[in-house]
Amino acid sequence: MTLTHTETQAVDLAILAIYDDAQIEGEPDFVVELIDIYLNEVPRLFDTIRTAIADHDRNTARRAAHSLRGCSANLGVLQMAAIAGELEHLEDNYSTVATELLLSLKNELERVKEILNAERKRRSP
Amino acid sequence: MRILIAEDDPISCRILTANLTKWGHEVVVTRNGRDAWQALHVQGAPPLAILDRVMPDVDGIEICRQLRQIDSPVHVILLTSLNRREDLLEGLEAGADDYLTKPLDTHELRVRLQAAGRILELQESLRQRVRELEEAIAERKIAEEALRNLSLTDQLTGLYNYRGFINVAEHHAKTARRSKHPSLLIYADMDGLKEINDTLGHRAGSTAIAAVGQILRRTFRDCDIIARLGGDEFAVLVTNMQEPETAKVLERLRRNLDAYNESGNDEFTLALSIGAVELDHEEPWSIEDQMARADEVMYREKREKKGHEKAQETQKRPA
Repeated sequence: MTLTHTETQAVDLAILAIYDDAQIEGEPDFVVELIDIYLNEVPRLFDTIRTAIADHDRNTARRAAHSLRGCSANLGVLQMAAIAGELEHLEDNYSTVATELLLSLKNELERVKEILNAERKRRSP
Repeated sequence: MRILIAEDDPISCRILTANLTKWGHEVVVTRNGRDAWQALHVQGAPPLAILDRVMPDVDGIEICRQLRQIDSPVHVILLTSLNRREDLLEGLEAGADDYLTKPLDTHELRVRLQAAGRILELQESLRQRVRELEEAIAERKIAEEALRNLSLTDQLTGLYNYRGFINVAEHHAKTARRSKHPSLLIYADMDGLKEINDTLGHRAGSTAIAAVGQILRRTFRDCDIIARLGGDEFAVLVTNMQEPETAKVLERLRRNLDAYNESGNDEFTLALSIGAVELDHEEPWSIEDQMARADEVMYREKREKKGHEKAQETQKRPA
């Protein structure tokens, strides 16, 4: 594997905690809402990326990777953001490496889900 | 403040909306460029827009560019990815007022919004000031127009205008009646002013009117009352004549008119139709009545002239 990303923290919970500032009293937990949106959004983006790689549609794959990187970074899902960033800027040996990266993303999502679900449970038991 | 958001990323969109709402702003959410563009063009559209640099249909930079093309006053904050300096420069060049990098730093968002608020307030007070100035100018124009209506002189020729003529002529007529000196009222109408306007333009038309004014001034004495009644109509009240000298006066006018035309200064030729009536001081009369009389005489001359021209044309035409 020629992947250049280095191992980073899966989820930086301190970044998530920043959004507590936007919490309105009496409303459902805002961070939990963000986690739900995220966990709903990511599989959708994975689908787009998979189809685009199969269709050799680099632009669509790149755009979806960009979106994935963006929303991951927003929630402090750092490793996922890093891999998505690599996919977004991938040039050489596209199909092979892109497929490898998508696999990494899927594995990473399992790790991320665990952490985010735990955080979810902690916030709204 | 009302703020428009255009952001296709649901997380970023929700974070923005939550924070802005919490800070007391009213948020209009759009998820693509097309909807954003539309929302910025309705009546009472938000004065501030936070646009994502990258969107699937129309991206933030393109919206910026189009907004600036139509001189929209919307304050635009562009959302760009961190470390994409080229995007940032492109965005500012396209007309964005400010930028924010993603992932969003909410503290930064807050201070940028404060800066935007200050700018928008300043712009609004400027617009208000311009509105006030425009109103003041409009009021002044109305006042000037009213003043012009009150005035007694004609701007273009410097002669009396209709109002001035009636006032001054009435006064002179009274004193002339006492002194029993004969007076002469001349009504003069320019021939062919419409043609001059139509073929040479209104500037030439104005020059022609002003030239007639000068010729009248040259022809008559300072104590005579000369006026441009409006359009192409002039009137002169020749007062205190020692004896009836209508023919002499009119001859002098024709000579001056010919001299002007022969000087060849202008592209047009001046001609006047003239009606002259001697005012007899035995009977009481009003200046308006006498003007109507003179007008009638003038009109007869004009008709005769036209008839003459027609006759000439008919003669010229080959049998």
